[in-house]
Amino acid sequence: MTTTYPFEADSVDDALTAVGTPAVRIDGLDKISGAAQFVDDLDFGPDLLHGAVVESPHAYARIVSIDTSAAEAAPGVVKVITGEDFPYNFGMYMEDRYIFAQHHVRFVGEQVAGVIARTHRQAVRAAKLVEVEYEVLEPLLDPKEAVAEDAPLIHPNLGDYAHVPWFFPKADTNIAHWRKIRKGDTEKAFAEADYVLEDTYRVPRYAHCAIEPHVTVGKLDHAGRLTVWTASQSPHTQRHLFAEALAPLGFAHKDVRVITPYVGGGFGGKAGVSMEIIGAAMATAVKGHPVKLRFTREQEFYNTYQRQGVVAELKVGVMNNGTITAVEHKLYWDAGAYVEYGANVVNAAGLSATGPYRVPNISNDSLCVYTNLPPGGPYRGFGYSEFHFGLESHMDRIAEAIGMDPVDFRRKNAIVEGDELSYGGHMNPSGMIEAIDKTAAAIEWGVDEESKNPNTIMGKGVALFWKAPAMPPNASSASFLKFNEDGSVNVSVSGMELGQGYLTVMAQIAAEILGLPVEMVRVETPDTDRNPYEWQTVASHVTWSSGLAVEKAAIEARAKIFEVIHEVYGFEDETLYLEDQKVKCTTDPEFAKPLREFVIDGIQTDDGTWRGGPIIASGKFMPEFTNANSDPETGQGGHPNVHYTVGACGVLIEIDKETGRIWVRKAALAVDAGKAINPDLVKGQITGGLVQGLATVLYEDMRFDDDGRLMNPNFTDYKIPTSFDIPDEMIPIIVEVPQPDGPFGARGVGEHTMIAAAPVIANAVYNALGVRIKSMPITQEKIALAVTDRHHN
Amino acid sequence: MIAHEFAYERPTTLEEATRVLTEHSGSVRLLAGGTDLVAWLRDDAVAPDLVVDIKAIPGLDTIELDGDELHVGSLVTFTDLIESEVVAEHAPLLIEMAETVASPGIRNRATMVGNICSAVPSCDAGPVLMAYDTTVHLIGPGGARSVSIDDWFIGLRETACSDDEVVTHLTLALRPHGGVYVKLMRYGGEDLAQAAVGIVEYPGHEYRVAFGAVAPTPIRAHRIEEVLRGKPLGEEVIADAVALVRDEISPITDMRATAEYRARMCEVMLERGLAASHERLEGAGPAYGTRLI
Amino acid sequence: MELSLNVNNEEWALDVAPADVLLDVLRERVGTKSPKIGCERGDCGSCTILIDGRSVRSCLVLAVEAEGHEITTVEGIGADHLSELQNLFISNNSFQCGFCAPGIVLSATELLARNPSPSRHDVQEALSGNLCRCTGYEPIIEAVLAAGERNEEVSA
Ligand code: FES
Ligand code: FES
Repeated sequence: MTTTYPFEADSVDDALTAVGTPAVRIDGLDKISGAAQFVDDLDFGPDLLHGAVVESPHAYARIVSIDTSAAEAAPGVVKVITGEDFPYNFGMYMEDRYIFAQHHVRFVGEQVAGVIARTHRQAVRAAKLVEVEYEVLEPLLDPKEAVAEDAPLIHPNLGDYAHVPWFFPKADTNIAHWRKIRKGDTEKAFAEADYVLEDTYRVPRYAHCAIEPHVTVGKLDHAGRLTVWTASQSPHTQRHLFAEALAPLGFAHKDVRVITPYVGGGFGGKAGVSMEIIGAAMATAVKGHPVKLRFTREQEFYNTYQRQGVVAELKVGVMNNGTITAVEHKLYWDAGAYVEYGANVVNAAGLSATGPYRVPNISNDSLCVYTNLPPGGPYRGFGYSEFHFGLESHMDRIAEAIGMDPVDFRRKNAIVEGDELSYGGHMNPSGMIEAIDKTAAAIEWGVDEESKNPNTIMGKGVALFWKAPAMPPNASSASFLKFNEDGSVNVSVSGMELGQGYLTVMAQIAAEILGLPVEMVRVETPDTDRNPYEWQTVASHVTWSSGLAVEKAAIEARAKIFEVIHEVYGFEDETLYLEDQKVKCTTDPEFAKPLREFVIDGIQTDDGTWRGGPIIASGKFMPEFTNANSDPETGQGGHPNVHYTVGACGVLIEIDKETGRIWVRKAALAVDAGKAINPDLVKGQITGGLVQGLATVLYEDMRFDDDGRLMNPNFTDYKIPTSFDIPDEMIPIIVEVPQPDGPFGARGVGEHTMIAAAPVIANAVYNALGVRIKSMPITQEKIALAVTDRHHN
Repeated sequence: MIAHEFAYERPTTLEEATRVLTEHSGSVRLLAGGTDLVAWLRDDAVAPDLVVDIKAIPGLDTIELDGDELHVGSLVTFTDLIESEVVAEHAPLLIEMAETVASPGIRNRATMVGNICSAVPSCDAGPVLMAYDTTVHLIGPGGARSVSIDDWFIGLRETACSDDEVVTHLTLALRPHGGVYVKLMRYGGEDLAQAAVGIVEYPGHEYRVAFGAVAPTPIRAHRIEEVLRGKPLGEEVIADAVALVRDEISPITDMRATAEYRARMCEVMLERGLAASHERLEGAGPAYGTRLI
Repeated sequence: MELSLNVNNEEWALDVAPADVLLDVLRERVGTKSPKIGCERGDCGSCTILIDGRSVRSCLVLAVEAEGHEITTVEGIGADHLSELQNLFISNNSFQCGFCAPGIVLSATELLARNPSPSRHDVQEALSGNLCRCTGYEPIIEAVLAAGERNEEVSA
């Protein structure tokens, strides 16, 4: 072990009663009974106003004039606002974004003005009456064209934007950030390699498609307090960005409040701030009234974050014995019109673009390129799904070229604990080898399957994955914990229940330490006024980070309980433990003090006075071993990532040789959860992530026309999986090699489960048909045409 | 939310319906299941002044066997077809087709007549009704009239039905047959057809073939029918038919598929479909509802 | 227009415009929030309700069309006590974000009412119009199948 972890959590105990059990979700009843409230379900009374957005029809244009007079005169209209009212820029990691377009529009659908009216219908009708005159400019839609020397600039003032210190924008280009990794000597390694394979892979844009669209309700009350209800993964980060973006209006953080009830799915799309800033700005324009802005499904597609496209140029060198000696990976990201969040996707990918392999010589270039398409941003997998497609396709091709079994090739090169990472740090403990072996066994790797149907053929594929949380080095989590009269507990945190089961997992951690049944712990969705800080619910980090904060709060509460027992009864702390909602003592088997008897009222002593009182506690966690100060030219010197989660995926597919249709007959996915706090929920992440990932490779695809307009902003033509589009059999495999600094050894798994899905299909298609498809998605059409073309040639 | 506002009428007789239609000078739309119309209203794709809901008119929601004719009322939903024993026995292809239409929540509402009135190129009912011998019955200010399904589709979203007419029902001439509806979709879940073919084989080597989603309207494949006529199906005959596919269809490239893929898949679907409908005629073959692709 | 609406066995007298969609009227005028707005054009199923026992997308129905029909939402199904199916959904951790859950409960309820012991294919068919982005459907399908098995045990 070369990484030292300053904080070591409680060691994993065999006698766990809450952690490690498939506890029933604490939000299950709410969600199944119709009781669960999402933002759009909250009632705001008769003075609720409704917002609608005026959008750019052009991918790139100069705004010549905006005439709002007809809209202002329309029935029910209360206010029309434009960029002139909010001449501010803001952003998550780079302040390149505007509340409403300023002088230019940079993608089709960009917000140019907002209309606020008494009814939703009135707002939508009036929005059509806002007249905007544009001078249309030639859009840049391809990242390779946008990085060309003479390309027009999408953000001429890129050099002026404030940004985090680990971004390296190139002023007077369209490159908003360029993450470089240089390690060893790739030139020499390629010259000495026995075999070198070089190729280009293409990945288009994808949409999150949470079934709940973005909704924001903002209210600036007459006392000047701004409350914003959002469907968000990031209440505190939103509060911060609202306060910063609207600072010229005089807001302090304490006067901005974000409330997030249940969220109907996020997948990264509800992280940071996207349309919420429009809702917040609208609220400031109609003091005293709540105003609701709910995006339509179409807007959801074209004006919230999208997963960025990428052109990946990959070169890998190996020796005949199968050892990988060098990787050169150039990633040209189609980051869209604003990259305030998306640039960090580019950064994360650049840091890890070797994949989960031991590679001595590395040259990675990950370029964040502005284009006139909607803003890219976080999406489950955060850049890793994108580069794994090419990388894991490439690994299969290399194995074949040097005559090695693809599983053996991966096992030989897989990164293991202590191996050096591309930026110089060292790999954390991981169960990669176990994951590979169990996955291979689950799909009976090496056993050929014959199809009984003459029209179809079977194929198998494997792929590995890894991913680290991508966060600022000091991203933190906090928790409050308080006991109630009956010995039940309320835990306050600000991570979001996006469906992953976060509230349940936090309850299990608290219950475990406090000797409670999980049902005795209540964890609610946050309100930034009352719940303590959480950076965001992204990066698959909350089980780990927020879990540590809850663990610490529970440990503190336990210490306070023992303190009062010690004070009254004299037992030493080390002899006390919590079990069955009681304090017990190892030295006195008779002693069993129910928590409910004293956690609020305290314990009466012999003289009739009382000791103790309400048991309350807090906990916080911030990684204190990370830093992002690496050399811009080599990427060496920092410790940007806290740890990696790894795993493997394998599939058995059946393909119709004529139509190209693919059926996934079996899919196995092994992920190293460190410790599965709730194995049922980990399995839920595996099945959900797998199906989401398989869709990206089989049929999902954002299709833009030559003018940069999204042609399929709906589920009619952007197909997401239905109940028919799942593997016949899914085999979730949980590997548990503990993360030394994780709560009970846990690390995150939420995003990881979709990362390997694309290459595993590409590899299985090749295995079946001998056809290598290098651009996603691998639709049935692409397969059918490739097969028949091959026959014709 | 529908931004556009309109008036709404719910006549209770056909006479009242046609009167409302003729009296109304502005644009008007008929509402049955609403699964197309309400979505189009919401999308601002249509903006009528008046919507006339025909669901309160009695007698339009029946499926009846009348000698060797099957009557299907204009309010009969896809679910009604799927659940009808009469249909299962006499016109099973309607069920095979209906089961590919969207999903139960749509099929519980959407009507087959509405489907051919919407007349989009991917209209599922089109190829099957063309493969069967179908007549569309309408009523208008001038009284009742009927139109062969072959003359029904005029163009993209355009039919032989005029603004002041209401379709009352369809009649299908029934004969023993074997048939298939093969629909190419982008995945296993609900989808609009990328291409489709409806095939019926009648005893005596008589064939009917119609394609969907490969022309502005569903189309009968007369040349293919001609080349097959009177011939027992064999590899060569099927190959001759398949060779004519590209002469019959005029597919386009759009977001859902390229013209080339559509054409190749029509060939594959015809080949597999002819074989399966023949087997079904013989009382064998895959059960109705089994997907051939 | 005047409209009388029966929602979960309660009568409502409302004044609506012909262009008002049933989904919006249920949510904003009746206060029944379990049918969700996911796409408003019939593609996602999150607005599913039962009309006279059949699953329908309430975003594709004008409110005025619902006159004289019985509307059921999840609030009506679990009002007194949860159904067996709902309990199985809970114990199987079938849902994640839960946004799709009201629609799926209704589609599955309709299925079990007509087909008490459905096959896996029947379940997939019944749920095929209800999009769920979180779960990969498997834990949902399992719970519906389990409900079917219990029905079979009861009738055996
Ligand atoms: S909201 Fe009705 S189907 Fe999506
Ligand atoms: S549980 Fe989230 S959409 Fe189904």
